Amino acid sequence: MIRFLAATFIKEIVTFLRSPLLVLAVLYFFTLDVYIAGAGIAVKPRNVTIGYVDYTGGRVSQKILSHFHAPEFKKPKPFLDEEHLKKAIFNKEIMVGIIFDRTFAVNYAQGKKATINVLLDSTAAAQSFITLSYLQNIILEFQKLPLPLKLKTHKLFNQNADTHMFISLAELLSVITLLSVILTAMVFVKEKEDGTWDLMLLMPVDAKITILAKSLSQVIIILIGTLISVGFVILGAFHTPINGSFWAFVLLSFFYILSSAGIGLFIAAVAKDTMQVAQLAILIMMPIIFLSGAWTPIYAMHPILQKLSLLSPLRYYIEGSESIFFRGTAFTDLWPYFAGVILLGILTFWYGYKKIGRLF
Amino acid sequence: MKARVILAYMRKEFTELARSKLIYLVYLVPTMILLLFGYGIRLEVTHARVLLLDNDTSKLSIHLISKFEHSKYFTPTISHISEQKALRLMKQAKIDAIIIIPSSFEKRLLHGQKSEIGIFIDGSFPMRALTIQSYIEGTILQAAQDFGAKRGLNLKILINQRTLFNQAMRDEDAIVPGLIGLVLLVAPALLSTLLIVKEKEKGTIFNFYASPLSKSEFLAAKLIPVFLLHSITIFLLFLLALYIFEVPFRGNFLLFWIASEVYVLISLSIGLLISIITKRQIVAVVLTVIVTVIPGFLYSGILMPISSMKAESYIEAHLFPVMYYNHIVYDTFLIGQSFHSQKNIFYLGILVGFFLFYFLIGLSLLKKEMR
Repeated sequence: MIRFLAATFIKEIVTFLRSPLLVLAVLYFFTLDVYIAGAGIAVKPRNVTIGYVDYTGGRVSQKILSHFHAPEFKKPKPFLDEEHLKKAIFNKEIMVGIIFDRTFAVNYAQGKKATINVLLDSTAAAQSFITLSYLQNIILEFQKLPLPLKLKTHKLFNQNADTHMFISLAELLSVITLLSVILTAMVFVKEKEDGTWDLMLLMPVDAKITILAKSLSQVIIILIGTLISVGFVILGAFHTPINGSFWAFVLLSFFYILSSAGIGLFIAAVAKDTMQVAQLAILIMMPIIFLSGAWTPIYAMHPILQKLSLLSPLRYYIEGSESIFFRGTAFTDLWPYFAGVILLGILTFWYGYKKIGRLF
Repeated sequence: MKARVILAYMRKEFTELARSKLIYLVYLVPTMILLLFGYGIRLEVTHARVLLLDNDTSKLSIHLISKFEHSKYFTPTISHISEQKALRLMKQAKIDAIIIIPSSFEKRLLHGQKSEIGIFIDGSFPMRALTIQSYIEGTILQAAQDFGAKRGLNLKILINQRTLFNQAMRDEDAIVPGLIGLVLLVAPALLSTLLIVKEKEKGTIFNFYASPLSKSEFLAAKLIPVFLLHSITIFLLFLLALYIFEVPFRGNFLLFWIASEVYVLISLSIGLLISIITKRQIVAVVLTVIVTVIPGFLYSGILMPISSMKAESYIEAHLFPVMYYNHIVYDTFLIGQSFHSQKNIFYLGILVGFFLFYFLIGLSLLKKEMR
């Protein structure tokens, strides 16, 4: 039994290693892909382009404009008139246009209410929203309104709201999901396509052992990939702190990979060929990712979706991993995440296991 | 003369696609991606869980707290627990922010002395933290300005803002058009990437080697059925955007349609190229996901406008077709310049160039003999 398990296990690992392109692709996902995502995506407003038209003499207006600087803003670009500025915004070369008209300087000098006109390209809603609040703050500061109130803001666990650390970790979690579902499903569907799967089930060896060995081999491959990624990219390149227990993360990852492998088993049972695996995998993974709270906080979702999100194993994995890496949550406070992942893991794995183990 | 052979081949491809019981996935996958992402990506945060530690319990502090209670952005809890306990709640991910109002807050303010409000935000999700931060600071500053106005402190400079293209600042308007660019890149490529490698793995590719069909005819027979299927996807996505997400359409439909068909061709030829260079289906699928999903998200301008990219990513963005297509899509949906804009016409030309480039490489790499 054990010998057969080990033999099948090793056979699958060797098959994996024999396809250099596949090994490379998996390695790519765990290293470069996570790195590119972490280094490349920044949803924070950065380098926001500003264009302006200045019909005033320029003393006050230039003072206001001098507050816009790197890294949030590119140097404001002057335009001759409103027409040119608008055209640049329409062609998406400029995101925010500021117009100081003639009355502005006059009114300001006379101590009347002066108005600045601002045009915002709101297709980049996040960027223009934050630009606007920057502008309001700059003007508030500029007028030195003697309000005796001070706000002391601290962002705990990630002081500078460094998005590199966060996105690289989030990307790793989705890579784990993607690969564990697809690789596990493929190991079985390949045999189906070759017609050898029915033979496997009819062999005198217990089919359960075959399935277990095959799926475990993929789980281990993904787990090793995860460790490589955490070592080289998450900790190595982005210097993400690990405030909680590293082993808690490994354990949580193992259970999570097992639960996605269960989904892979289910897909393999339903699908007939690779094309169907690819499509089904996307179809099933989308809701899981969507309901995980990675994009929309769960408490901001529709009440029905909030209930449904309890079924997404990724929900527990993401929040658990965030807690381990950033919040440094104590091991005893991590139990909801472990409970969620293990419970769903057992469910999906058991169901997929039963489903794939049937003859057609 | 060979038209009959091509037609026969196409019929075979069509039947094969239709016979696989999951043919509906061809339309289900794009629809799902659009629906889930369209509803799923929210840049604004509502119901942020804020814990207010009010150490003052004065009229002013209660007034400030009421500002939080009347906002859809917050679900505040008012409490008197210790800061340690509050921190533990945050570590258990039960609250997003702690606001600490100091004791004698009202007294100091009324005497014109400086008073500090402490704001602690869970930074584990940086974007969410920044958004929550700007909401909280905005709410408090607004309250402070009201307070100042009552005491005769008025602002002299006003901002008259006008939001273009998306007046209501709806997330749907900003995101859904960009998603069309993502979906039309991923879905057709994912289907076409298996067209040839499937035959290679099964060995049926020898039928082609032995048939009188030329390479370009073979590719045409392979591509046209999938192309037609995905032409319907274009309309499907368009209708979803218009009627489910209620994104306005201000531009020219013809421009949108032409650009989309060219873009589908690009996506198909990317898949085809991968299908030609790989030997195993799993590798083809994984490779296609890599080359389509990442540029589709990163360099599409959905999450980050192209104009704010740094030098390297700015150049990289120009190397992928997504950016050009998305420019046209955003223009036709939200801006409405259409054919009047030279940039649109120029970008359409670039898209045609992309298609020819990928297709010709694929054609030259496809061999009509045993390897």
